[in-house]
Order: sequence, then C-alpha cells, then structure tokens
Amino acid sequence: MSSESETVQVLACHAVTVAYAGLRAVSSVSFAVRRGEVVGLIGPNGAGKTTLVNAMSGFAQISEGSITLNGAEVSHLAPEHRAHRGLARTFQHGRLFKDLSARENIELGALAVGCSGREARRRAAALLEETGLLSLAGVPANELSHGDQQRVSVARAVVAGPAFLLLDEPAAGLPAESLAELGTVIEQARSGRDAGVVVIDHNVEFVMGLSDRVVVLDHGQVLVEGAPDYVRHHEEVLAAYFGSVATEGLSR
Amino acid sequence: MAGGARGVLPEPARARLRLAAEALGPLALIAIVALVGAQLSTADKTDAINVLVITAIVVGLYVFIGNSGVISFGQISFVAIGAFAAAIWTTPVGTRDATMPDLFGFLASPRLTNLESLLVAAGLGAVMSLVVGLALMRLSGLSAGIATFAVLEITYNVLANWEKIGPGPTVIANVPATTGIPQAAIGCAIAIAAAFGYQRTRSCRLLRASRADALAARGIGVSIFRHRLIAFVLSGAICGFAGALYVHELGSVSVTELYLALTFSTLSMLVVGGSQSLWGATMGGTLLGVLYSFLSNAVSGTTVFGLSFTLPNGLNTIIFAVLFVGALMLAPRGLTRNREFLAVALGERAPHPRGPVAIALAGGDGESPGDVETGSSGGEAASRSVKFTPGQPSP
Repeated sequence: MSSESETVQVLACHAVTVAYAGLRAVSSVSFAVRRGEVVGLIGPNGAGKTTLVNAMSGFAQISEGSITLNGAEVSHLAPEHRAHRGLARTFQHGRLFKDLSARENIELGALAVGCSGREARRRAAALLEETGLLSLAGVPANELSHGDQQRVSVARAVVAGPAFLLLDEPAAGLPAESLAELGTVIEQARSGRDAGVVVIDHNVEFVMGLSDRVVVLDHGQVLVEGAPDYVRHHEEVLAAYFGSVATEGLSR
Repeated sequence: MAGGARGVLPEPARARLRLAAEALGPLALIAIVALVGAQLSTADKTDAINVLVITAIVVGLYVFIGNSGVISFGQISFVAIGAFAAAIWTTPVGTRDATMPDLFGFLASPRLTNLESLLVAAGLGAVMSLVVGLALMRLSGLSAGIATFAVLEITYNVLANWEKIGPGPTVIANVPATTGIPQAAIGCAIAIAAAFGYQRTRSCRLLRASRADALAARGIGVSIFRHRLIAFVLSGAICGFAGALYVHELGSVSVTELYLALTFSTLSMLVVGGSQSLWGATMGGTLLGVLYSFLSNAVSGTTVFGLSFTLPNGLNTIIFAVLFVGALMLAPRGLTRNREFLAVALGERAPHPRGPVAIALAGGDGESPGDVETGSSGGEAASRSVKFTPGQPSP
C-alpha cells in the first residue's frame, strides 16, 4: 500500500496472517479498499475469506502484519472500537436481535455509535424507506423472511454511516428475486454514502455484478486480484474452483 | 396494544400509553401490598414491610442480572454494605462506643438521619459496585458468576471479622426502626422507578442487545464492558439503598443475615418471577416475598389454621435454593415469561419462546474468535450452490 493511497480514505490489510493452533487460515494477505469502491472477496470453501473479514473487523487476532484504517493502525483495537472509527460489518446468517423489530434493529445500529434516540429514529426511518423495508418496520426480526433479515442486517450496518462496510455472505440462501433488492441496498451504501464495501459471497455472479475489483483467495493467500472480467477468465481461478481437469475441459 | 386501541390511537400515543402501563403495573402491585399491609396486625404488618423491602432488593438484582443476562451472586454484598453503613451511622453514639469500640473515627462519631442514611447507603453501594465492576465486568458467563460469588465471600468475611468497620460476628443493635409501610413502599417504588427509567435509556437498550447476541452487539459498536458497568453500578446503588431500608426495618443486623440465604432467596424470586422483565422482578419479589416471610417465621415457630409448627433451621434457605434451581431448569423465563406487565395482561406472546435461558451461567461475550464463523465453517451449504459461469458477462 503506497503512502499516497493512505492519504485518501483506505482500509488496508498489510501482509496479514491469521493462524489458529499452527494452522495458517490466512497467510500474508495484502489488499485495500477505498471509499466508494466495492471489492469482492471470493474463493473456494476454506479459502480464508471469513477469517480475513473477522481479522479486519477485530474478531480474529492477527499473528503477523497489520490492518490500517485511513493510515492509522487498528490491528490492536477491539471490534466495537473499530465500529466507532467507521468500520461496520454484517455476519453470516444476519445475527439480528430476534426479539426486536426491523426498525429497532436498525435503530440500535445508530445508537451503538453514539447517535441520540431521536437521530437513531430519523436515520432508521430514512433507511427503511430507502431500502423498501418500511412495511416490515414493526415486524419482529425472527418473523422476517431470510431475505428480509439479510436486508435488515445490511441496513443495521449502514445506518451507522460507516466509511467501510464488510459484508459476510449477505446473499447466502437468497432466492434470485431477493438478490436484486440486496444489491440495491449495497449499491446505495456505496454510491449514496460513499462507503467502501468488501463483500464475501459464494454466489460469485452476485459478487462480480457488484464489484469494481475482485480479490480471489485460495488456501489463505491471494490468488488473483483484478477487474471482474479479468478474474472471471483467469485460469488459476478456474482451477481453484473447479480443479485442473475441469479447467482443461472448460478451456477447450 | 389492545386491538381496539390499535385502530383508534396513533402509534406515538399507543407507545406512550404502553409505556405508562408498563410502569404503573409494578407500582400498582406495590401499592396493593402496602394498602393490604397497612390493614394487618402489627406482626403481619412486619411481613408486609419485609415483602416490600425484599422486592426492592430483587429489583436491584434485576437491573444488572435481568438486563445484562449475566448471573451475579455478589449483589447482596452491596445490600450488606448499605445495611451496615446505615446501621452504624444511625445507631446512637453511646451504643456504638459500647458495642463497637474499635470503629474507625469516621464511623464512630457522626450520626445521620434516616433519610441521610438511605442516601449514603445508596452512594456507598454505587461506589463499591463501581470498584468491583471495573475489575469484574470484563468477565462473562461462568467466570463472572464465580467472580461475583467471590465478592460475596470477601464482603462477608471482611464484615464478619474486621471490627474497625463493624461489630464483627456480633449484632449491630439499637438501629432506629424507621422503615414502616410508607417508607418501605416509597423506597420500593423509587427502586422500581429507577429500574424503569434506566431500561428506557440508550445504555440499557444496548446492554439488552448484548444480552441477546454479544457478538452482533460488538460488531455494531456496543462496548459491553461500559454498559454492563453502568447497570452494575445502578444495581449496586439500589441494593445499597434497599439494604438501608432492610436494616431500618429489622432494628438490628448481623452479617449472617446478609449472606447466602438472602442471596439465594432473592435470586430465586428474580428467576421465578421472570428475570428479564421489571414486572417479573416485582412479581417474584412480592409473591415469593410472602413465602420468604412465612418460612422465616416458621423457622422460629408459627401457627397456620390453629396448627402450630416449627420448621428445621435452614429449611427455608433450602426451599429457596431448590426453587432457584427448579425455575432455571423447568421455567427459565419465570411466571411472567419475561414479559412486562401489559404484555402479560393482554396475553401477548413471550419473546423468543424457544430462545436461550433467562440468565447465562456459561457462555461468552464474543471475545473469542471461535464465536465468529471462521474459515470454511459458515459456507458449507453455500459452497454446494456456487454460481460461477466462466466467460459469461456479469448481470
């Protein structure tokens, strides 16, 4: 990461390694995301995508390397302190507060970063309208469909007004019709709020469609990084996903 | 809200009405206990006062345990500190000189009024809980439970043995018995009002979010330590205050009265009532408070329908300990199923009917990376439906 890139608002991993009991789940990974940019993080199962997002958000301790936010090292900060510095994340399966309504879940996202109750209500109302969730505002989270839970989860992260947004499998298990709605929410976070977005998902087409740039991880290391079309045709990526025999077949 | 009100009143008015009803329910129950108690004989009136004071203690427990979901066996320490402070500083100086000759000077001479002693007890409860909380609130689950138990043990042993701050293992006598029905009822109402006001705050909403899902709460920026500490200090203040009410009810106190029996009894009341609602704490405190008074009397001999009997010493404590464990195992959401007054009155569904138990004896607060899906763990199902079409344009 050049020092020039650090003067603009950048979330960056510098040779990050995460090891559990001797196993290197992530090995010397470097990449960065700027505000207003969507970076897709893809890779086969076990590639280290979620571990990397956990490390970036403070839920996994890094063994080597560093993570910087706008040039300042945040590797030592707890997740809640990173959130206050503008780094929001979602979790696999949403992890909504199930007894609370969609509105209350979103309000909490604002309250948690210091907004007053009035400001949290205002932000939540605006976001509910913007994301088409207004009619579901009073519905308890555990009564929402999976797709709506995912949208509320993203809205709960977006309401804090983060500079960077880490989305962990937001499209998992969603039917095709819900993907477009989710994509709109993410696109609004990027273009409307100038957030830098890192999105992990197994639905590679969904990620490719959203991303300006794609980083492919395999065995905890960066395999390829580039524009979606470049990555899509990259032989190593095809091999990582489908194996060399399948790749040979595809390339014919 | 009721079906009729739903159609007639706009949403903000319904919310305010609901809020008022949720506060008034517990306060009305206290008023009923006070009014009934005022009509009773002098002996039975004492039981009514006891029920009100015990309920104030249970509400103090609720503020921390109910809102954080973290069990604490140490809150009775703050009751003991409040009770000892109020007792020592309101006992006549002559009595202090005679029964506690080794007291520190600042304890030996000043004499406080009843009201001053209540306020000082609340303040001391808050300060002590702040000191303890700064060390303990980073713990959660089983470690927090064990650590708070250690606090109870330390407090008990210090009060029982250090004669510079009290009578040691003997009794503080001649404490002005100022807690009658009015003081007990007003004191309990103040505890309920404080708990109710607190649960409307931003801090309490965030603490409850951490109770529901600590990991998700941290992910959105909730400092669990800070919000647990706030609840712990408020709980300590209410417990200290209730301790002062208690000692002014009894007229004398020894440290053994503020130890295990009271800990398990009040925890039982909270869990049996429903530990995650103010209505549950109030219901548990009043209903089981009656049982507590009855059993306490029965240990020293009582008469029911002309039948006189005496329970073996300690059986009252055993009964409450069994109630505590039984409620945790069989009905962890308690009588109210963790619903507030209006939800119970309207028969509304309980929150998370198949959710976790009311309070956590084990479990973390999202500190460990293992609490987050790591590596491949989360993507097994999704990996079988990877949609990657080489060579086709993105949508």
